[in-house]
Amino acid sequence: MQFSLAGILAVLSHAIPPFLPLILAILALLVLAQLVGRLRGYRFTDYHCRPAAIVALLAGVSTLWWLPRLTGSQLAFVATATDWAALVAAALGVALLTWLVLHPLSYLVRGPRRH
Amino acid sequence: MTRHLESPRLGRRQLLKLGIGAGAAGLVPLTGLAANTVTTQARIVILGGGAAGMAMANRLAMRLSGARITVVEPRELHHYQPGWTLVAAGVWQPDRTLRANADFMPRGIDWIRQPAVGVDAELRRVSLADGSVAEYDFLVVATGLQLNYHLIDGMSPELIGRHGIGSVYASLEAATRTRDAIDTWLGQGGGQGLFTAAPTPVKCAGAPLKMAFTTLSRIKDTGRRDAFNLDYLTPGTALFSQPWINDFLKQRFDDEGIRRRHYYRLSAIDPGAKQAEFTFIGPASEFTSHHELRQEEFGREGEMTEVIDYDFIHVVPPMSAPDFIRESDLIARLGPFRGEWLDTDIHTLQHNHYPEVFGIGDVIGAPINKTAASVKAQAPVVEANLVAQLQGQALPARHNGYTSCPLITDIGKAMLVEFGYDNDMAFLPSFSFIDPKEESWAAWVLKDYLLQPAYYAMLEGRV
Repeated sequence: MQFSLAGILAVLSHAIPPFLPLILAILALLVLAQLVGRLRGYRFTDYHCRPAAIVALLAGVSTLWWLPRLTGSQLAFVATATDWAALVAAALGVALLTWLVLHPLSYLVRGPRRH
Repeated sequence: MTRHLESPRLGRRQLLKLGIGAGAAGLVPLTGLAANTVTTQARIVILGGGAAGMAMANRLAMRLSGARITVVEPRELHHYQPGWTLVAAGVWQPDRTLRANADFMPRGIDWIRQPAVGVDAELRRVSLADGSVAEYDFLVVATGLQLNYHLIDGMSPELIGRHGIGSVYASLEAATRTRDAIDTWLGQGGGQGLFTAAPTPVKCAGAPLKMAFTTLSRIKDTGRRDAFNLDYLTPGTALFSQPWINDFLKQRFDDEGIRRRHYYRLSAIDPGAKQAEFTFIGPASEFTSHHELRQEEFGREGEMTEVIDYDFIHVVPPMSAPDFIRESDLIARLGPFRGEWLDTDIHTLQHNHYPEVFGIGDVIGAPINKTAASVKAQAPVVEANLVAQLQGQALPARHNGYTSCPLITDIGKAMLVEFGYDNDMAFLPSFSFIDPKEESWAAWVLKDYLLQPAYYAMLEGRV
């Protein structure tokens, strides 16, 4: 059973709406943090914040535990290569997203600290 | 009262002329047929607005210009039935499986909100509950099937949820009450659970297995596994149609301590005493052939029976085409599906005696294929073949028996089992990255989050 691109889009048109508020809220948080930070002089290449990176790393690692539970499953059932690829990709995504939000926020809280 | 009186009944020659009038756009192979609109004045009646009927209504509404399409469906609500096992397992809330039929019904079709009660295939007429008739040039039979609880002495759908009786099939309410009955059993802290299978083809043949596995999962969560006994009683030797999966399941049942009891048919139930009577039908019985069911063969005279006490029982009723189809000329008269299922060619899905009639979904006589996933595979075949028939062309499309069962083996993991009835039930995986032989979290997530959107897209005729 194969799905065409149009078919995949049709499925997504039903799959995404229940999560749209959450997706929009996360995107809004990301855009807001980046926008406000940049208006206040934040440039991620010029600013370093180890705590933000550590928290992002922890958020990513914790995904391995909470994401299966959020889907009504458990880490012990993550068994196949596909399972692990999906879970690791999700963990990396969560880590990156957390860092992209926390990094400018820490700049706003701590002020510019060039290293 | 006769509907569509303004339209003359078309003979087969006229139907051929309609095809000629359909224009050159239709005179192309299957891939082209799938893309081009065909003009016709044919009257098409679709019996049923479930998964199969709704998918066909949308596909034909998009494909045909000028056709008068009628859907006969009395229900206002559409049930996502593949979600009922998750409701009965306590994973989903019941309302997650409900949508309005109006959300999916295409514009421009005639929706008759009452049940069909008869089909006269010779006169090409469908009788409706109010005494009126709907005439057709082409008929799509998508009625779904009938649950024959009455063939189990003492059993009725009203008992579900009481006296330790569960049955996920009867309705959304029944699935919810089944969940409650399992909750009650778990609350007792132990006891005997019986999980039955039916001696007929059933819709979602994995559902009885899923109920056993999800209940076992919940039992384990109580920390009192040893206090619960689980028996799985089945009329045949197999637990599942696909041979590899069948062997896997037998081994898994043995490993998990679920006792397999073969050649057992649930023949009666005593709710007050919480006792179930099983008829031992034996390896030589016709019942062991899944498809050789005859209603009169449910008689128990001279057969061995065994009465088993239970604290919880999951009942899977015998199933058949709805009575008004069984009493019509459309029913199979010979072969393994005789008297019980629609007489269709299992590859073209065209009726074997009435070429203007096509069958799709649970109602057809096929060795497997009573799933929503099957409908997804069948709908383009019926669309292409019906349009070809309308144009007087050879039928271009062939169904390979594709079906899919997201087989839940524990709450939180599943196997995405896809196969067809060609090549000895060979696997037909949709995704190269999901092995049908492996239990996985990904398959569970697919079942929990993605199959329902895919189902709704199918209803709209978009996949």
